[in-house]
Amino acid sequence: MAGVEFSRVRKEFGGFTAIEALDLRIEEGEFVSLLGPSGCGKTTTLRMLAGLEFPTAGEIRIGERVVNDVPPGQRDIAMVFQSYALYPHMTVRRNMEYPLRKRGLPAAERQASVLMAAEMLQLTELLDRKPRQLSGGQQQRVALGRALVRDPQVFLFDEPLSNLDAKLRGHMRAELVELHARLGRTMVYVTHDQLEAMTMSDRIAIILAGELQQFAPPQEVYRAPANRFVAGFIGMPSMNLVDGRLAHGSGSWQFMAPGIALPVPALAETAVAGEACLGVRPEHVHIGAGELQGRVQLVEQTGHENIVVLAVAGGIRLTCRTPASMIPRMGDTVDFRIDSERVHVFAPGDTGPRLNLPA
Amino acid sequence: MMAAMSTGGGEPGSQAESRTSRSPQAMLERRYARLGLLLIAPSIVVFSAVIIYPLLAAIYLSLFELYTPTLEGGFVGLSNYRELLARGEFWVSLRNTLVWTAGTLSLQIVFGIGMALMLHQNVWFRSLARSLILFPYFVSTVVAVLVWRWLFNDLYGILNHLLVEARLIDMPIDYLGAMPNAMISIILVGAWKYFPFVVIAVLARLQTIPDVLYEAARIDGAGPIARFFDVTLPQLREVLLVIVLLRAIWDFKEFDLIFLLTGGGPVISTQTLSLLVYKEAFALNQMGMGAAYGVVMMAIMLVFMIFYIRQARKGDSS
Ligand SMILES: Nc1ncnc2c1ncn2[C@@H]1O[C@H](COP(=O)(O)OP(=O)(O)OP(=O)(O)O)[C@@H](O)[C@H]1O
Ligand SMILES: [Mg+2]
Repeated sequence: MAGVEFSRVRKEFGGFTAIEALDLRIEEGEFVSLLGPSGCGKTTTLRMLAGLEFPTAGEIRIGERVVNDVPPGQRDIAMVFQSYALYPHMTVRRNMEYPLRKRGLPAAERQASVLMAAEMLQLTELLDRKPRQLSGGQQQRVALGRALVRDPQVFLFDEPLSNLDAKLRGHMRAELVELHARLGRTMVYVTHDQLEAMTMSDRIAIILAGELQQFAPPQEVYRAPANRFVAGFIGMPSMNLVDGRLAHGSGSWQFMAPGIALPVPALAETAVAGEACLGVRPEHVHIGAGELQGRVQLVEQTGHENIVVLAVAGGIRLTCRTPASMIPRMGDTVDFRIDSERVHVFAPGDTGPRLNLPA
Repeated sequence: MMAAMSTGGGEPGSQAESRTSRSPQAMLERRYARLGLLLIAPSIVVFSAVIIYPLLAAIYLSLFELYTPTLEGGFVGLSNYRELLARGEFWVSLRNTLVWTAGTLSLQIVFGIGMALMLHQNVWFRSLARSLILFPYFVSTVVAVLVWRWLFNDLYGILNHLLVEARLIDMPIDYLGAMPNAMISIILVGAWKYFPFVVIAVLARLQTIPDVLYEAARIDGAGPIARFFDVTLPQLREVLLVIVLLRAIWDFKEFDLIFLLTGGGPVISTQTLSLLVYKEAFALNQMGMGAAYGVVMMAIMLVFMIFYIRQARKGDSS
């Protein structure tokens, strides 16, 4: 069993810096997702861990061992690729057996491992097929099986579910969670799908432009986003972010924007009066009664709830959720209120840090 | 209007057609068929003129004893074939052809794959070398052979000069006028001239092998050699089959390179079947006999073809 540690890891491609200085410590047996927008460096991070890419500076450890100079085959890791990367000319059996073969395991042991993994993934029937005779989901399971037979210290996944349809993806998510529970191995999972990250991970590492923004359990990332970027990135529909001003008066803080004036909860000492950003989750905007007014601009009915967009003064738009039974009419002006105990306040800037006192 | 709608509707097509061949659908189909014929007609005409006709003509000629300059003579049936099979020269030439083909082809394949792998390593090197490597393939055989004959020359050839200078040999070697040197020389020159074809075809295939397969193999613990045998080679299998087939056919009937280098000599030691056909038809003026050799060559190549087509089919279905 081994954890993973990145210390001051930097990666440049030519003159382009993909990763600035990454510090990340993944505990033994943890399931960690690397989440971020396209091009933020998730794959690069994973590939450095796999040994397919070399860090320009810094140190990567697997367990106690610094692996910077260890070739991929000797890192005791297994990787599942987005495109599965099955050997096209080999049968499923041979594919799964390949890593064991290269490690010189005797045939009987190989056979036993393959059969066990095949059983676990319901591949027993397919063992003698070639990859191209399999569906995408089946190929995906074979790729998983090839990783499983090795029983590696660390599993690496690079968007393994993104080529599957929504239903199968949901199914495989559950299977991976179960697998993790059963094996208890460290797993590092790259995705740009926040639903995958939220549902599967022990902790999520949110990355933007090669920099770690927050590294915390899903609930914490959702309830207490570390900065404005994370706040906007996590959550569907995303958090309302309103630019305005903070004012300090009679011992409490007040947030003001056109059409909105709101007392905000206790802020950290770093908070100063002036420009700031207010973050409100859609579920914390309540239509019906309140001191604020907005015009209904859009109503999306998803079935179990409605997503309503309100236009407030000064071009501000607020998204809110309403129960399915409550369908406001478009164009109407409605009263609403913001649950001021649950708002987030961020310093100005795209990655302005969160100013709320820790809850 | 109603009729057109009903035939176009839910009824099964075959029923509608058999009931009335004048239906708009059937007429349209027939017009398409005619158009199709019209469109492939030119290819058929050209194909017949340049392939079928010479083929049939060769078979026809092989049944006669003909004097080449006048094409006069009489029908002899299969006696040309009977005589040919009884002649030692035919068997010697056949053996030479097989030795030459097997030798030069295997060198082409080995060097071709090796060079392609090297070029594939480095992108910068690749684009430059890709144009240079084609040079032997593009240079005309006559020019190439003249250069090689000059290099090989036993009196003033640079090869002998260098070897003597380096004290590797005491006496100049006769590269083209003695055996087995002559056979080795033509095999080497053939390999030099035609391996670029293999390089280009293999390189093109190499570039389509996804990198991720190599990465997966590295993670699975495969070293460079294992990656070549487990990832690269299986992916090259199909293209190699085609290359071997094409090169085997082309090498089998190679004429100018051998003719110009050794003329088939010493005596008939490097005389392949192509050279034999030429000698019969144009040096000995036995057109019928030459044609018979040609037909036999074709029959042998047909065996190659059938074998490889079978292999290719097997590859597809497995
Ligand atoms: N081999 C390379 N050469 C040059 N630049 C690269 C290379 N690989 C990645 N990059 C750059 O590094 C940055 C991070 O790439 P990376 O593939 O890690 O992104 P990602 O987070 O995985 O994105 P996605 O979600 O689209 O897969 C990108 O800007 C990319 O253009
Ligand atoms: Mg990626």
